[in-house]
Amino acid sequence: MKEDMKYLYWLNSVEGIGFKAMMVLKKYVGSGSDIYHTPEHDLRWFLNERQLTALVNRRKEWDVDGEFEKLKQEKIAFYPYGSPGYPEKLLSLPSPPAALYLKGSFPDANTPAVALIGTRKCSGYGSAMAKQLGALLAERGIVVVSGMARGIDGIGQRAVCGAGGATYAVLGCGVDVVYPPENRQLYEQIERQGEQGGIISEYQPGTPPNAGQFPARNRIISGLSDAVVVIEAKEKSGTMITVDMALEQGREVYAMPGRLVDGLSCGCNRLIKQGAGMIISIEEFVDEILQASKLRLANEIKELKKKAPPAPKATTKEEKLILNFTAEEKQVFSCLDYAPRSLEQISAMNPQISYESLLRILVTFCLRGFAKQMGAGSYYKSDDI
Amino acid sequence: MVSLAHRGVLFMDELPECNRDVIEILRQPIEDKKVSIARASGSFTYPADFIFLGAMNPCPCGYFPDQSKCSCSAKDVKRYLSRISGPILDRIDICAEVPRTTIESLNQAKSGTSSGLMRKQVKIARDIQKARYKNTLYHFNADIAVKDISIFCHLEKNEAALMAEIFEEMNLSLRSYHRVLKVARTIADLDESENIKEKHLLEAAHFRLSEGRYWQ
Repeated sequence: MKEDMKYLYWLNSVEGIGFKAMMVLKKYVGSGSDIYHTPEHDLRWFLNERQLTALVNRRKEWDVDGEFEKLKQEKIAFYPYGSPGYPEKLLSLPSPPAALYLKGSFPDANTPAVALIGTRKCSGYGSAMAKQLGALLAERGIVVVSGMARGIDGIGQRAVCGAGGATYAVLGCGVDVVYPPENRQLYEQIERQGEQGGIISEYQPGTPPNAGQFPARNRIISGLSDAVVVIEAKEKSGTMITVDMALEQGREVYAMPGRLVDGLSCGCNRLIKQGAGMIISIEEFVDEILQASKLRLANEIKELKKKAPPAPKATTKEEKLILNFTAEEKQVFSCLDYAPRSLEQISAMNPQISYESLLRILVTFCLRGFAKQMGAGSYYKSDDI
Repeated sequence: MVSLAHRGVLFMDELPECNRDVIEILRQPIEDKKVSIARASGSFTYPADFIFLGAMNPCPCGYFPDQSKCSCSAKDVKRYLSRISGPILDRIDICAEVPRTTIESLNQAKSGTSSGLMRKQVKIARDIQKARYKNTLYHFNADIAVKDISIFCHLEKNEAALMAEIFEEMNLSLRSYHRVLKVARTIADLDESENIKEKHLLEAAHFRLSEGRYWQ
């Protein structure tokens, strides 16, 4: 089997040969080595013209031993469909990946896994929710799968890493290609985690990020998870494609509700109307996921909870913070939202506070990390508290 | 062309629509108040002491960060904003965002400072500066050289501590640190205050736009 890997790697590198063709070849021709050594005229029964030409050409230009050696050197593991180690959850997908490339490890099949997905261009609300949810999931030992994209994906995964949890990134390009480049730090962080995280792709190492590949990789994200959570999404978006795939695969779908006027929440609200689980509290949602997963794990957590003294009536960080505020500060803080408001707007909400002290409070908030300034002169509540 | 604006105002509307090279070339005149031109026949230096003003939209469609109206992709916005590079932003003292006006506010009676009053305040501030720089080479706060900043923009203990905090938290460069001080000096002058107080520093910090302050 091990010997055969290098041939299967070669076969996977042939353009136009996907899962179906690979299965046909395996069934009728045999192992990777057999396929490699079968003369052209015998293969033409199983492949169309284009596939056959690609395969024959690839045979000439591909150095079977050398290329496989390169893969090893780059510490990229190769898992063809059905090989030991290939994630169980993906075996039963309608169109599973013919092979997977991996840096790090696959998520453990017995640990509950949640896919955190959402828009690339998220609002402050979305980013705050992704952070909180990511951190709590990590804390409770739930694995987070996502696409390491801009926006929700990356923010959620960074929060998981920050809380010391396990997170897995499924890419739409080769596992050795960092896309988008601004997530390089996250990429390296996941890479360093080893057992506790992985970078996964069905595309050959070196494949550049092409738009057409991203919808396809979404089926792997949902495939690896037990539940899919949509944090923010427009009504027509890549996130919705992932949701469709998740439903097709029989995964649970949850959505985070938002305001009606907020275009970024329209998709989520629509999903809720269509029957997706509604997240009204992050704590509650995480508990639900744990309940739904293996009872064993839920019991363990319950035991732990019993031992720990009952937490005082959940005072959030935010509530604690407000205790130390002056009356004016409290008032200004209550006017801040995750969506930025301009100084004029905040000022209009607090006509009795002078422009000067308003400015002083806002800039002090920024310096202490309670608020953030966006652009020139708009402020929003920091999503770190 | 920039030399034509000497002792005046250089206003560039729709700044990001300008060629990147054109914007970048402004670094030297904004900093040194002169412009050097090298040609085959020799190198010439012209005076270029001007007030630089620029106006721009936050994204190609103009609605960002209002997500429900903005039709630009994250990449578009990023590309648009990045046409104003960090070093140029570093040299701009005051940045302000002008939100969309509503029809109600148009109909309401104006409550802000009138131009006439503003003119009086500016006049007073200029007189203060004239008196301050009487026996020096300087005319305005903006002219102060780095070595003299500690003399003219003196900070008391509390203010110095606050400024240190601002420097750390806002990741200021040394250049922008000095520029915040000079702006604070001007705000204090407008306030007819002898010393720079905390509120002046905070207002100056509010006007400084650092790179990457828009959402990712």
